[in-house]
Parts: sequence; C-alpha cells; structure tokens
Amino acid sequence: MKETAIYIHIPFCDHKCIYCDFYSIIKYDDFEKYRNALITEIVNQAKIYSADRKIISIFFGGGTPSFMDAEYIGSILNTIAANFNLSNNAEITLETNPGTVDLNKLREFKSIGINRLSVGVQSFDAEELRFLTRIHDAETAVSTIQNAESAGFKNISLDLIFNLPGQSKSKWKKNLETAVSLPINHISAYSLILERGTILNKMVLDGKVKMHDSDFDADLYAFTIDFLNENNFEQYEVSNFAEPGYECIHNNVYWKYKEYIGFGTSAHSFIGNKRWWNYSALNFYLSSINEKGEAAAGFEILDNELMEEEYVMLALRSSGLDLNKFNYRFGTDWNQRNKKLVESYISEGFFQQSDNFLKFTKKGYAVCDEILGNLH
Amino acid sequence: MDLERERGITIKSHAIQMKYKSKDKKDYTLNLIDTPGHVDFSYEVSRSLAACEGALLVVDAAQGVEAQTISNLYLAIEANLDIIPVINKIDLPSAMTDTVKHQIVDLIGCDESEIILASAKTRAGIDDILEAIVQRIKPPAGDPEAPLKALIFDSVFDSYRGAIAYIRIFEGKLNEKDDIRFFINDSKHQAEEIGILGFTKRKTKSMSAGDVGYLISGIKDVRDAKVGDTVTTLRNGADKPLPGYKDIKPMVYSGLYPTSSDDYEDLRDALDKFRLNDSALVFIPETSAALGFGFRCGFLGMLHMEIVQERLDREYDQTIVTTLPNVEYIVMKKDGEEIIVDNPAEMPEVGEIDTINEPYVKAQIICPSEYIGGMMKLAMDKRGIYKNTSYIDPTRADLEYEFPLSEIIFDFYDKLKSISRGYASFDYEFIGYRESDLVKLDILLNAEPVDALSMIVHRSKAYDMGRKVSTKLKDLIPRQMYEVAIQAAVGSKVIARTNIKALRKNVLAKCYGGDITRKRKLLEKQKEGKKRMKQVGNIEIPQEAFLAVLQIDD
Repeated sequence: MKETAIYIHIPFCDHKCIYCDFYSIIKYDDFEKYRNALITEIVNQAKIYSADRKIISIFFGGGTPSFMDAEYIGSILNTIAANFNLSNNAEITLETNPGTVDLNKLREFKSIGINRLSVGVQSFDAEELRFLTRIHDAETAVSTIQNAESAGFKNISLDLIFNLPGQSKSKWKKNLETAVSLPINHISAYSLILERGTILNKMVLDGKVKMHDSDFDADLYAFTIDFLNENNFEQYEVSNFAEPGYECIHNNVYWKYKEYIGFGTSAHSFIGNKRWWNYSALNFYLSSINEKGEAAAGFEILDNELMEEEYVMLALRSSGLDLNKFNYRFGTDWNQRNKKLVESYISEGFFQQSDNFLKFTKKGYAVCDEILGNLH
Repeated sequence: MDLERERGITIKSHAIQMKYKSKDKKDYTLNLIDTPGHVDFSYEVSRSLAACEGALLVVDAAQGVEAQTISNLYLAIEANLDIIPVINKIDLPSAMTDTVKHQIVDLIGCDESEIILASAKTRAGIDDILEAIVQRIKPPAGDPEAPLKALIFDSVFDSYRGAIAYIRIFEGKLNEKDDIRFFINDSKHQAEEIGILGFTKRKTKSMSAGDVGYLISGIKDVRDAKVGDTVTTLRNGADKPLPGYKDIKPMVYSGLYPTSSDDYEDLRDALDKFRLNDSALVFIPETSAALGFGFRCGFLGMLHMEIVQERLDREYDQTIVTTLPNVEYIVMKKDGEEIIVDNPAEMPEVGEIDTINEPYVKAQIICPSEYIGGMMKLAMDKRGIYKNTSYIDPTRADLEYEFPLSEIIFDFYDKLKSISRGYASFDYEFIGYRESDLVKLDILLNAEPVDALSMIVHRSKAYDMGRKVSTKLKDLIPRQMYEVAIQAAVGSKVIARTNIKALRKNVLAKCYGGDITRKRKLLEKQKEGKKRMKQVGNIEIPQEAFLAVLQIDD
C-alpha cells in the first residue's frame, strides 16, 4: 500500500488579504455546486488511484476552509473515507482562521473527524494584523487557540509572518513568545514574500510601503530558529518547527517526495513521475468536472534529472538529504557529483553531515536557494 | 540582420541590382551598394567605393554634414568617383534644408542646383536621383572582350553553398561553369553558379564588364575568396590582378572567454564560422589566470566589438565574457627589447619598462558652435591635443584634435553625443605611436589579482579610475556566500578598496505541493543565470563586471 496524501482546496474567503496570492473567491453563494463537483472529482479519481493506496493525511487548505460549515467539510471527508483506504490514524488538518470559528464550531469540526488545526494567526500584534488586513484581532487569535484546546484538539499549529514592513525585532520576539505560551505543537514562521499580483506588492512598487533589507530579514530568521529551538520546537524545514513527534505528516509527504492527490480548484497532484494541476478559476473547474469528470488544467512529466533535482531541493529544504536513499532511488551518486562543493560548505558551516545524512545548519537554511543553485 | 534593424544602422554593405527606364526611354541596369557610415566600418565603405563608378553623398536634412560625411566623401573623391549630393529627410519638421545646402556647397564646391532634395519616406526626389545617376555618372568602362578581371568586394558564407563572393566585373566575361582562378592564393575553382543580386539571388548564364553579382564556386573556406582579391578565368586569364585593398588592421583588442571553460572548443568553432562572414575579426588563443582559455580578439572599434559579442550570443548561442577593450602598446624594455602588448596582463614589470608608446589618432569633431566649450572640456578630459578650428558654416565648427586612441574607444562617442544633444559627430584616423606615462592598474578580489580586470591607464588617472572601478564592481558583483574584498592597485600599492558583504539570506519561505514546480523552475532559472557568470576562485562574477569601466558615469 502506497502511503498517499490528499489535499482539498476550499477557495472561499471572507475577503482578500493584501499579501495573499492564493486563488480565493470572496463573493459566492453557490457552495453546493462546488461541494458536488468536489465529490464527483473524488469519486472519479478514487476509481483510478485508490486500489493500492493508504491515505495517511488529508489537508483542507484554502482560501478559508473553516469559513464553511462542519457539515460541509464532513461530507467531503466522508466521501474520501468511502472511496479511499483511509488510515485509522490519518492526520486530518483543517486550515482555520481566527474569527471564523467559535468554540461550538470547533467542537463540530472535532466531531466530524478533524484532528489537527493549522491556525492562520500571522501575528498577535493589533497593528500588524491591521496592516495584513486580517479580519481577526489579537485577542481573537489567542482565544481561538484556547477554544481549540477546549474543543479537544491535541495537535495545533499556527502560522506567523515575520519581516513585515516596520516590524521591529522586539515586536517579532513578542509574537514568538505569545505563540509558545499557547497550547500548540507546531509553528510555521514565514518571512513575508512579496508575490506578484498582490496588493502588498503594488504598495511596495508604488513606494507606499518599504520592505526591510535582506540582512534584517536574516537577523529575524536566525533569531526565530534560536528562539524556537530553545522552546523545544525543532526546525524540520525552512519555515516549519515542531515539538518532537508533531511534525506535520502532510508537509512531510511533499518534502519526502511521496505521492499526493489534490482536489478542488488549483490543487496539485503528484503520482509516479507525473504532476498535474487543476484549473484555478472556479467556473473552469466546475464546467470541466461537469463535462469530463476531472479538472486538470495542465501536467508535467518529470524525467529522472528533474526528479533528482526536486528530490534534493525538497530534502535539503526540510530535514535533510539521506545520501543512501538518494543513491538507492536514483541509482546515481549525488554526493560524488557534488563532493568538492559539499565539503567546502561543510567546512564553511552551511551543511552538517553525519554518516550519510546531509543537513543544512542554521546559517545554511538562510541561504538555501543560493546553495541549491550551485549544486548539480 | 536583426541588429541593424534594432539599432537603425548599417553594419554590412548590401548590394542590389535594379532596372531603370530613363525619361528618354532608355533602359539602364543600376548596381547599387548601401554602405555603413560608422567609422568602425569605413573599410566596408572603401571596398564598396572601389567597385563603383559614382556615389550618392546622402546628407540628413536635420543633422547636416557630419564628420563621417566628410571622411567618406574624401574616400569617394580619392577613388575618383562621380559624386551626386543628396539631402534626405527634407520632410522632417526639423529639416534645415537651406543650411545643409550651403554646407554641401562649401564642402564639395558644387553648384547649389546640383544638390537633389529628397525624402525616402515620401518618395520625393527619388526619380531625380535615378535620373541623375544615369545622367551624371559615367557608365562602366571595361572591355567585355578583354581577359576577365572581377573584384571581390564582399563575401559571405553559406553553410550549404560555401563562400559566396560578391563581385564586380571590370573587364571581360564570366560564364557559368567557367574554370576560374583566384589571384591571392592562386587557387583554382569552377564557377558553379553566377547571378545577380536582386531582392533574392537570380541565377544567370553569363556576366560581363560592368556587371555586379555573385559567384559560388564551392569554396569551403571564405579566406580563399578573400575580399579584395581578383578572379579571372583559367584559360586566357588576366596576368595581373586589379589593385586590391589594404589589409585592415584592428584598432582595439579584447579577450573573449567562454563563461564555462567546457565551451572553449565551441567558442573556437563559433569564431571560425563568424570570421567567414567578417574578415575584419582577428583572434588568437590566449590564457588568463582568472578566466582560463579564451581568445584575444582584434576589432575595428567598439561598435564592431559590441556587434561581434552580440552576434556570437544571438546567432551562435555563445555565452561569453568580454574583457575591457584596450589598444596595442609598444613597450621599449630597458634591455633594448621592443615588445607589442595587446593585453594589459602581459605588460612587463614596472622595473623592466623603459617607455610605453600608445597609438594616437587625428580626430575631427563637427558640432554646432554653441557646443564648442563642452567639446573642448571633453577633449581635455580625454587627453586631447587641440590642433585647429574651422567652420563649415557660420554655426558649425570643425574641431581638429589628436587623441590617444585608448581615450576614445570607451565612452567618448556617447559622451560627445550627450554633451551636444546628438548634434556633434566624430571621426578619426590613426596617425602613429607616441610615448606616454602609462601604468597598469590591477584589480584584486580577495587579495588575488584578476588579470582579466587589469587595465592600462595614464598615471594621472590611475587613482580616480581605481576608485571608480572598485565602486562599480561592488554594484555589479552580487553578494556571495562569502565576503569579497575589492582592491585596486598600481604595482604593489593599493590605491582603493571596498568590500561586498556576504549574502545572508536567500531562501523562499514556502514550498508546498503546489509550489514545487514553480520553485524548481525558479531554481533552474537561477542555475541558468549562474552559468552566465564567471567563476574566479570561489567568486562568481557576472559578465558585465568585466566591462565595469565602461559603465562608470562621471
């Protein structure tokens, strides 16, 4: 049985945040149409892919999945359970935005089978939240986590963004301190990315907002890693930290190059050497499901070279590259190919190697893209 | 050529034939050659002139007489051609037709009525020009019954047909399938195909004295169909060639290196092929401690160099690093030896040098008189020696200067244009070598001298140049994983220093299922970008950094 993950995209949001480049829809009232399309897609794909697979993770991402009723999410979950071999201890995550859920709704989510929450807090600072145009305030962010605990969630992650324009080091430190004081086990701490097409990007281009330079970003990042390590959160990817045993299974499917199937608008799937992605636009997605029963907008077939490149990139970005596993999987000696460079990076303190396991150091993670660009 | 269209200039001559019925109903065949105007390509002009009976001196109604107008005019007069003055672009709002008329009258001493007013855009005057060609220019004189003498005035290389020579027949006849002989190499071939250069090539059976056309004779090496050579028939051939051309001599030199040393052989092949179509390019292999194996290339000037580099990239897919161009120096050593240095890295140690001599040129600058002050200041900055001022008309001055060639090859032309808002023009010719107080300025990266960044400068400019170059390099070299110290030095004395801080953060925060393809493509793009950089030690240097000096603004 191949361990496989399922991703469900819920594109609906209350509003669009200034930094967001995800496909999301603000005004919409025919949620039923989307649910039916999702169910059709799941049933159809299951016919092709369910036979020899065990689903170890389901992730509801968005958009704002917690914006939907528990019954809505539950029915999709039931469809998956009925059509795939769902592992008994599968991780089932719901992206949750503070301000869309109260204690009662969280209890409902718990009762339909959600066992992990990824809470889009982003910041505990009132000013920063306003800047990011999040709908919640600082108190709601805290109370949402507390309510989640009361509702019985034992596996809670929260997202934070740093390197915000105007953010001081002390403000960021305060955010981290608040985060670790809450009953959570996982933190995703992202350096703000200026994505093309976002409102924030336009604000920066227009000179209305000024981003910090990359040295300041580097300082915040180094501080983040140190602070979270000291508080028992281990880094297992560029932006992800977890208490031991609470690493996100779903994330690790992506990063350990396992297979996944995505449903809904803009969702990506990866099976064998093929990756494909659904239409992003809701109307295209809906009509494609209606006409063909599937919604792939494009695909790529990865040759060995590309797969090697992705494998190394994902492994090094996350918990490290197991050289034996690489050689076994691809039949070529990556280490031999990069020996000189790797040795110099080890001596310069960018990599650490134990036995046949190569991993970035704190300094290395910070310049990960630069180093990946030099390896071959 | 795309480059010609993009830049709006002529790089290569173009020959074409047209039929013309004159006003008195006679049929004429006109062979026309369009030539470049830029000083770098004046050899193309003189070659073309040698193949013609007359020349149209076309002057822009808005620009007036420019320096290159005058130098090309003199070339035409030397070649004993009939000259028809034409003022083009008379339709422009900024045309100053009357002024330009006076300039031309003063210049060639013609009657005002001989000047034809034209606009290629509105077709005004075109008929007058054609009529003037048949009226005023003498028909070709050669005897079609004499032994064949055909001048190769251009040649191009076609990968299927080999060398295609563009010829002007001065005497005799050439028939398809004739056995022919090329004088310079005394090589024998067959005229596989001959024809006329219309909009496309048109095969003919025979060509005779006065005709211009092409000749394909299965020549694999374009050097066997050398421009300036004479073609004759094997049987009953001519015993003496036509006067040929002087060999062209490069004015500036620069190192061309593949960004990746694996591509050295490819670059050699590309240069070999390139030379087939551009006989002005010369190159010999050289080695640089910093850049590895490459070639020292000689160019006619900066424009020529830019074009070669650009075409190698576009047409031959060669990613190359070009080092700062320099002139050729004659160094007298204390031991009495005289050496020629065309690469700053090969300059002998200071202690061994007695004198360094550099090439000088005589330059002509023509500009509206209000810019004389600006021109003089520029000339002074460039170590110019003032010679003379004359006036083409009351508002246009003709300044004569002598310059070290090295001072005018970089940014002189751009500065001249910007100071004069585009109105000044400039031309020069080589006049000989003179002794100068020159030093070698070295650039060190992390204490290692990078030979490819060395340059020869006048002692009085060394300090300023060292400071500007190191500052510019700081901008051009991206932050690396390690700190990079930049130093400029003359001999063992460091005259400027700065450093590039180590890169501390470069990582994309998110990489989930939907990001992987995009992230991989970014990575590939990044690797592609790194391929365009040159690795010197553990420092990645972008191509443009080797030409940092060219980007210094005062």
